[in-house]
Amino acid sequence: MADFSFPYFYNYPPYFTLQPVRDTREKQVELWKQLILKYCKHHKYFVVDLEEGDFPLFANANIDRKLTYEAREVFLGALVSEGKAEWMDKGHRRCLILWRRIQDWAELLLSFVRENGMEDSVMTLEEIMSGDETRGSELAGIDRGVLIRAIKILEQKGKAAMFKGQATDDDGVKFSAH
Amino acid sequence: MRRRPGISGLQTAAAARDQYRSLGENVAKIRTDLMKEQLATFRNQLEEFARKHKNDIKKSPAFRAQFHSMCAKCGVDPLASNKGFWAELLGIGDFYYELGVQIVDICLATRPHNGGLLDLEELRGLLAKRRRASREPITEDDCLRAVSKLKSLGGGFEVFTVGRRKLVRSVPTELNRDHNLILELAQVHGYVTVQEVENELTWKAGRALDALENLMREGLAMVDDGHPDGKRRYWFPCVGSAATGTEAAESVLSSPN
Repeated sequence: MADFSFPYFYNYPPYFTLQPVRDTREKQVELWKQLILKYCKHHKYFVVDLEEGDFPLFANANIDRKLTYEAREVFLGALVSEGKAEWMDKGHRRCLILWRRIQDWAELLLSFVRENGMEDSVMTLEEIMSGDETRGSELAGIDRGVLIRAIKILEQKGKAAMFKGQATDDDGVKFSAH
Repeated sequence: MRRRPGISGLQTAAAARDQYRSLGENVAKIRTDLMKEQLATFRNQLEEFARKHKNDIKKSPAFRAQFHSMCAKCGVDPLASNKGFWAELLGIGDFYYELGVQIVDICLATRPHNGGLLDLEELRGLLAKRRRASREPITEDDCLRAVSKLKSLGGGFEVFTVGRRKLVRSVPTELNRDHNLILELAQVHGYVTVQEVENELTWKAGRALDALENLMREGLAMVDDGHPDGKRRYWFPCVGSAATGTEAAESVLSSPN
């Protein structure tokens, strides 16, 4: 995987402090929002933990700066209000990043199934997340929760049916993607 | 015996006046004609010169600067009007109008990042990128000329000097002496602290904070509370390290919106 190239502002210290002036802050939030989405997409991160030290993007050792908890919450909150992220708990400690919307994940899954002639096949969730078939595709590494929600959208359209396995590892989906 | 004025005496006097006048008119006319002729010659020569060196003027920045200084010495401003024969002859008016438009464009695009102050060197770098390598190079002199033409648009376009740098201002913000001194000080590291300003400029408490907060409100400064020593730093993107600034401006310019 190619190295992630950080934008200019990531090495400019004041961008790690929440700016008090409104216009400047808006610009700052916008830049961080884009960066978080790009970074998560690049590294296939789905869940961001706000607690210190857990998410590498929020600290830049090169310039010895890190985002405060408040700043993290502001930037992620801005994504949440746009529908590009969701808080996973009331305390805003964990955040699900949707750099692709759930319905777009569903579309992606559907077109993957069609392109590979698997319209009638059965796959386990594990296979989709980390199996040979999806290796190298954009589906590889998808978050389990996101995957289940995407499949549920397909279920509503009658394109798929989820079934429970004996163990969680065996949970799977039967496509009927014609 | 005293002679009384007679008809003939008056007539003689009038005739003499007439003759003087016509002679005077003649002389003036000759002078004017001569001047006109000289001017025509001069203009022809200048036109011929310009036509002959059209390409040099457009291509070579050094030549362009010399041509401008020559014109300035004769009191001719090739940029004064877009309709003048200079524009037709050289397209030189167009050159600066185009440059002016590009400068406005860059200034506006980078304003969110730098608050409306842009380092002239940085501007030149961005112009070069935007105009691509195939085009003639742009000198500082060209930028200054183009910006001076923009001044008449209002909107506060101006180049001013802070320390050893020239900054292009695209916002009508008035910077007072205190602000300028702080900007100059900030050129060293890209940032200042209140304490630094007070020590370096021997200001009393309050004055530095006041000026800094002002600069921040204008969008020219950003605060940084993240340094381990706990002292608040005020960063100035417009005098930040050239590399960061240019990269910033480029990313702003290349973003789709």
